Amino acid sequence: MSQVKKVWVLAEKTDALAQLCAGGRQLGEEVAALVWGSREEAEKAAAYGADKVYWLGSPDQGRMLEDYTTTIGELLKKEIPDLLLVQPSRRGKHMAGRLAAGLGTSVIVDAAEITIVQGDIQIKHMVYGGAAFREERAFGPTTITTVGPGVFSVPAEERGSHGEIVEVEFREPAVSVKCLEKKSKAGAEVNLNAAKRVLGVGRGFAEQADLKMAEELAGLIGAEVGCSRPIAEGVNWMARERYIGVSGAMLKPEIYFAVGISGQVQHMVGANQAKTIIAINKDKAAPIFQQADYGIVGDLYKILPVLSSLIKANR
Amino acid sequence: MNIIACYKVVPEEQDIVVLQDRSLSFARAEWKIGQYDLNAVEAGVRIAEDLGGRISALSVGAQPLENSKLKKGVLSRGPEELYLVVDSKLENADTHLTAQTLAAAIRKIGACDLILCGEGSGDLYAQQVGAQLGELLNLSCINGISKITLQDNTIIAERTLENEVEVLEIPLPAVISVTTDINLPRIPSMKNILAAGKKPVTQWDLSALELQQAENKTQVLSTLAPEQVERKQLILEGESEEVIQKLFENIRKELL
Repeated sequence: MSQVKKVWVLAEKTDALAQLCAGGRQLGEEVAALVWGSREEAEKAAAYGADKVYWLGSPDQGRMLEDYTTTIGELLKKEIPDLLLVQPSRRGKHMAGRLAAGLGTSVIVDAAEITIVQGDIQIKHMVYGGAAFREERAFGPTTITTVGPGVFSVPAEERGSHGEIVEVEFREPAVSVKCLEKKSKAGAEVNLNAAKRVLGVGRGFAEQADLKMAEELAGLIGAEVGCSRPIAEGVNWMARERYIGVSGAMLKPEIYFAVGISGQVQHMVGANQAKTIIAINKDKAAPIFQQADYGIVGDLYKILPVLSSLIKANR
Repeated sequence: MNIIACYKVVPEEQDIVVLQDRSLSFARAEWKIGQYDLNAVEAGVRIAEDLGGRISALSVGAQPLENSKLKKGVLSRGPEELYLVVDSKLENADTHLTAQTLAAAIRKIGACDLILCGEGSGDLYAQQVGAQLGELLNLSCINGISKITLQDNTIIAERTLENEVEVLEIPLPAVISVTTDINLPRIPSMKNILAAGKKPVTQWDLSALELQQAENKTQVLSTLAPEQVERKQLILEGESEEVIQKLFENIRKELL
């Protein structure tokens, strides 16, 4: 595959940084990482395979990472990397947008595939709630994209070589937002994207209490419980982190077990990468059955308890 | 307090048809106000109601924006007036062109303390316009806001990130993108809808904003529906123990 010269990576979290560095290796001759924190953090990034680490230092109390947008923007203008890969977190997307506006360009978000064709960076990403994938390229000296999770994997062995660490002087932004306090979020620890098995629940359940049946089955087969959007955002039966689909989690499990979920495209886009899909739904015409490997058309209230007891009896 | 809430008119996703060659057809699609933008409009209306002030709505796009039902649709939710930038060049505008046009329109509207955007558009969901707009206007700017409290000339806001909630102090003027859990958008009454028809609407095109040279900064190479994954489709029907047993036999190798 052809490469561009300079790829830069920007990530808040070290695992994402490692992934983006690995991606940068595939796409560029030289990889540089933008890193916050202690000097140790910067050295770690160098060990992930960055040839160069732009070390931004540790943010002072109350200072937001977003305040580094000015500093990074100036660096981008000076060094002109061909490509900037950004972690697709909420903060990452915000910073990507501001950096792009500063450079007078656009951002392509949630890249599912990045290819370089005769020096042109072409990026594939999902549009219209999963109805399609769009291939797009950006104009301007630096292409900025956020990269979907799992697009690049980290090589098993770390590169031994240590890249050069370049200290970057902080540039005070003209305007800034102050962080007064950080609170941890209850129930936020679920990571559906990494789960091997996921059981999704939908509006086929009449009451919140009935979800227990699904949770029991999930427990028996070692699955994380996820849900369709209305369960998390309409009736609030589950935390937002658990919903699957366009603006929620994108799964890549071995098994996706859909219970009482009709399977609209906006949901399925988050689940259709599963190796095996199993569906229970009482509506024979539900689109989920078009996309399932195994399924049963029937009342989940009758099916779930029997299925759970069969699994228990046969373990 | 002058507030502007931005929104985008998008095709109803259920009307999008995938054609034989995997391209998409919007020929039969109804247009609607992006669902995430309704939260931004509602957030602005509530602030104006609680603290006094003026709220306007602003959208940029192509001809579907001129649909009178859509104009009434946004005005019936509380904004006192509407600004539109309608230009065929804005059909399929990328985030840069959209933000650039919004910025020019906001400068033309004049003094403004708070600009609100939804967390992403209902069609492309790039979650970019708020961030780019803030930077273009050189204002303080933040996304992911799930709660807003006004204090003197600053906003105290909660921002929901993946694993934490930040409590922020945002100086005004500012551009803020709000999440869907910030509020429940109101359903307008018939009275609101009738009154909406009498509210002022100002319409410009790109040349009125001196943006006739503005261009997209991305080029779309293709937009195609994904190829269907082959599935086994072993679907049973019924709720008897026998049928459930059969499902279990089908999936036991996978599950146990």
